[in-house]
Amino acid sequence: MAIDELEKKLRPPERGLPPYPAKMIKLASGEIMVVREARREDIGALLGTVYPLIEVAKDYYDIVAARMYNELLAWYRYRIANEFAIVGAIDGEIAGIVTSRDVDGKLGMSLHTMTIKRGLRVGAQLFAAKMEHHIEYCKEDEVWIVAESPIGFKRWMIEYELEDRSAQYPAVRHELGGVPTFALTRKLWDAVKAVKCTGTRPVPPEILKTADKLKMPNEYVQLPGWKRNG
Amino acid sequence: MAPRIGIVGIGHCRFGNSSDYDLVDVIAYSANDALEDAGGLALRKEVDQVFVGNMAAGMFNHQTAVASALISRMDMEPCPAELIENGPASGASAIRMGYMAIASGMADVVLVAAGEIMRTVSGWEATNIVATMAHTEAEYNMGLTLPGFAGMFTRLYMQKYGLTERDLALVAVKDHANAALNKYAHVQIPVTIEAIADGPEANVVNNYVAEPLRMYSTCPITDGSAAVILVNMDSPKAKLFKKKPIRIAGIASATDTHCVHNRKDPLVLDAVRLSAEKAYKMAGIGPADISVAELHDAFVIFELLNSEEVGFFERGKSFLGVRNHETEIGGRIPINTSGGLKAKGHPVGATGVSQVVELVRQLRGEAEEGRQVKDPKYGMAVNFGGFGNNVVTTILAKD
Amino acid sequence: MIDFSQYGEQTPHIHAFRCQKCGAIYYPAPMICAKCDSKRDPVTGSGWEEFDLEGPCTLLTWTRVWNLPEGFNRKFLMFGMVAFPNGLKASGRIELEGDPGRDPEIGMALAAKVMEADERPGKPVKVYVFS
Repeated sequence: MAIDELEKKLRPPERGLPPYPAKMIKLASGEIMVVREARREDIGALLGTVYPLIEVAKDYYDIVAARMYNELLAWYRYRIANEFAIVGAIDGEIAGIVTSRDVDGKLGMSLHTMTIKRGLRVGAQLFAAKMEHHIEYCKEDEVWIVAESPIGFKRWMIEYELEDRSAQYPAVRHELGGVPTFALTRKLWDAVKAVKCTGTRPVPPEILKTADKLKMPNEYVQLPGWKRNG
Repeated sequence: MAPRIGIVGIGHCRFGNSSDYDLVDVIAYSANDALEDAGGLALRKEVDQVFVGNMAAGMFNHQTAVASALISRMDMEPCPAELIENGPASGASAIRMGYMAIASGMADVVLVAAGEIMRTVSGWEATNIVATMAHTEAEYNMGLTLPGFAGMFTRLYMQKYGLTERDLALVAVKDHANAALNKYAHVQIPVTIEAIADGPEANVVNNYVAEPLRMYSTCPITDGSAAVILVNMDSPKAKLFKKKPIRIAGIASATDTHCVHNRKDPLVLDAVRLSAEKAYKMAGIGPADISVAELHDAFVIFELLNSEEVGFFERGKSFLGVRNHETEIGGRIPINTSGGLKAKGHPVGATGVSQVVELVRQLRGEAEEGRQVKDPKYGMAVNFGGFGNNVVTTILAKD
Repeated sequence: MIDFSQYGEQTPHIHAFRCQKCGAIYYPAPMICAKCDSKRDPVTGSGWEEFDLEGPCTLLTWTRVWNLPEGFNRKFLMFGMVAFPNGLKASGRIELEGDPGRDPEIGMALAAKVMEADERPGKPVKVYVFS
């Protein structure tokens, strides 16, 4: 499709990131979660999944959902450089989404992590998948990380032993702004990946196929009484 | 001769996250539930005494004198009311105080309501608050917490008897399966042995908390409440209640050393055994008579240890019974049919009353389909305070 | 008369207690001697002798805790219970030389020393470190 000159000017240059190879994880419930990189055709399901949670103030869902909605839409509309989204799906239904982007081939900027299906550590698994992509596949040296939820952030800070770069503000400043920046370096990742990052590759075709066309959840634990289909 | 004392009303809320709610409201919710179960809210005027079980409202919720607060919330003035704090055994201790109030002749109808809201604080803070039950200088100051004790305990047991991590996971699978059918349980998601133990991803999915204990060997942090109404079955007031009482056949308590390292034998829970022996004697029965049991399992290792101390299994052999499915619903001795603290959840002060509510449901035949024990006659609950240094055992009978 | 030894750098110690009437030893301090019923007055200490409880000990059991309480902002800590040659037991932290992921072994010989720790708000507290 021809892109007009003005549109070209508005699109950021793309490095062309390596793809994230899909994997599957057997969650504690025995359900299989397919973890794969989101594709452009997934955008409707992704936005529709995130949108209702903008209403949920508890556990910082509102701000994470609002920001993730922005990131996904910006990614789709080519208004953010080198972003990727990874989605976890159980029988095709979206269980969690993470967003992130590559800055310059050496540095990654972790954006957001959202758990849709709670109680099975989906968020922890997808956060690890995101870090895996940054360091193992995109070959970056480190990833900058911040979080809205103090509890969620403290968990990452402790479990990954993130380096505190807040003393280097504003030279080191996460794009999400206004908060202290912590970093996951390759060395820190190597120290934890065995206990944080798991999954089986390749995903058998019949299982991968279940995640081909992503489905939006009909209900959310976070929104009691809400149903997508009335 | 002591009167016969029975339970004529039970109340319970869905365990989970109630941190948006006021603690006293949450306790009152279950108390109202119990009154309605017993015949109606107007029956609160017949209550002679209220005991409230709660461990740490002062720290979690900045609320003290919870019993006094509950009285007003429920329009029960001038009924006498006391708060009973016995760590995680607060609930069962409150029931025991209720029993003693009736047995002494000072009351005919007692409301026991218990609750805890822990999720007002982070997991680290909750762990810290619960750890305050340990010896301050010799344990708490060291940084030790309940998971830490349980981890050390489990390691010793594994070394001595050959228990494996997979055996602990089997107990968790059973508990989660039961909780999935329990409308009050916090975690209603069944888990599979492959996912949490056998599979290639189990090491990450079921990560260590306090080695060798993993996440699915430890209870969640839970909010909730439960309540029971006790009545002197031989008093005229007993006729006010619509349901046939489930009798408290035996109730007893025992203590052990505060410092875990000072136990005579670190793998022997003297307080559990002694309290169970006294309760059995009072009830005139033995372990073989128990049809269903709720055994305190904040850590799965406790379910195993407790089942040995109360005589369901020989010492060191309980996990073999688990492998043989003896503790499942339909097994020889169904244990933690509610899902246990492991999956039903453990709002610490409420747990003892919640265990008794579960037994009453089982003995009445009111448990959900799929987890109702067939024709139970006697139920036993063991509620731990501290790290097994203050234990209450309750035996209920369906007459 | 001022006790000037209270000033300056103090090496922390953890004390066990000996009943001077019957010789029974305890850690931590009781208020009544289980053997001879002697009462301990925590103010005057009369009838009881304090002594340092540290040095060689044997590991009885241990754990590596990954979910630490508030204030302990690190990935994990190892804890253990030990027995001293005099029969007293204690709980504390384990720090082994070399690889922090190295596992202790039940029965291994360790040395108990006392350090100050300040992870929690308030005054620093004395903790055992078994190494």
